[in-house]
Amino acid sequence: MKKRILLLVFFIGIISACEKDDFCIENPVTSKLIVDFYDDTNRETLKNVQRFSMVSEDKADSLFINKTVNSISIPLNSLKTATVYTLKKNDADGATIDNKIATFTITYNTSEEFVSRSCGFKVVFNNLTFSSDTNSWITDFTPTTVINLDDQSEAHVQIFH
Amino acid sequence: MIKAKRMYKYFISICLFFVIAENFSQEQLKDSTFTKVKDTLGYKTNYGLRLGIDISRPVFSSLYSNYAGLEIVADYRIKKNIYIATEIGFEENTSREDYSNSTTKGNYIRLGLNYNAYKNWLDMNNEIFVGYRYGFSLFNQTLNSYQTNVSDGENGSYFPTAMNTTDQSAVNLNAHWSELMLGIKVEALKNIFVGFSVSYKVLMSVKEPIGFKTLFSPGFNRIFESNTGFGLNYTISYLIPFSKK
Repeated sequence: MKKRILLLVFFIGIISACEKDDFCIENPVTSKLIVDFYDDTNRETLKNVQRFSMVSEDKADSLFINKTVNSISIPLNSLKTATVYTLKKNDADGATIDNKIATFTITYNTSEEFVSRSCGFKVVFNNLTFSSDTNSWITDFTPTTVINLDDQSEAHVQIFH
Repeated sequence: MIKAKRMYKYFISICLFFVIAENFSQEQLKDSTFTKVKDTLGYKTNYGLRLGIDISRPVFSSLYSNYAGLEIVADYRIKKNIYIATEIGFEENTSREDYSNSTTKGNYIRLGLNYNAYKNWLDMNNEIFVGYRYGFSLFNQTLNSYQTNVSDGENGSYFPTAMNTTDQSAVNLNAHWSELMLGIKVEALKNIFVGFSVSYKVLMSVKEPIGFKTLFSPGFNRIFESNTGFGLNYTISYLIPFSKK
């Protein structure tokens, strides 16, 4: 009996020693920029963007295609100090001629921070400033600068359209 | 009714008496008869310094390209069941993680006591032991390469990330820990012992490199998220007998 218990303890020891103990449960590890879309006339209420598409100028693939959204979280390019997104909306029936285009530029500086063995290093974005092209469907946005993206529970920037 | 109650009391007393009587008889056997017989016959076992190596480490070194290690073990018997035990070693290990690759290299010492819980027959000298160790290691850790984690559940990795391959070394790191050990030792040939043990380690303190973490410590092995670790030893040792007791 004693021997059996000892044997059991040995095996538990061996098995638990081999088991991978940490999985990365943080999502996302690197903070994303959270954008909410509000109504330009009634500035307190969220307003859906119809047939919303979005693509970064650094990429050929779109991040969103023809979605109806009023809040998005978007990644920033950590290898550059600016990310330029092209945003499309279509309030009409979806014909290409009715597409409205806007660009939204985010500039920042980056640093790196170790999180954990399984999550690795995250990128910290600091001193963000926003700008959009004039005469686009984005009539206004607030704020124009953000110190960092640490808080992922609420929107960092509100876009009015 | 009263009579019945008294009867119960009587039976209970009788039962208690036997319990106590049995206890006495047990102790008596242990105290006088049993040990005395042993003493007079005089089965003596060797006391001395036992030196050996951990043979699992050269084996792991040859099996895994990311590991190299060597460990010398020694113990000295101070009482019938108690040994002062130590392990001294060198280890080099490369931790390959999803987002980082780092190499730890250094020396360690573990010092403590083993208590043999096994009752030997005659003059046999085997052990089933529990042990405590205090461990200390001195090491360097180099972050060979890493990659930032920019992927997320929604978009995957939309933007690329670069592999950073500039070595970042942190020297003179150290770790202190406590460990509990459980093992067996068998005298396979005269004065030659084969042992196997497992240990559970709890980190007391560790000096972390700046901007990174100590993922492995020599003698402690992988440092788990909860600051605990596991160890395994497979030893062959030789007893240099000093005296017979």
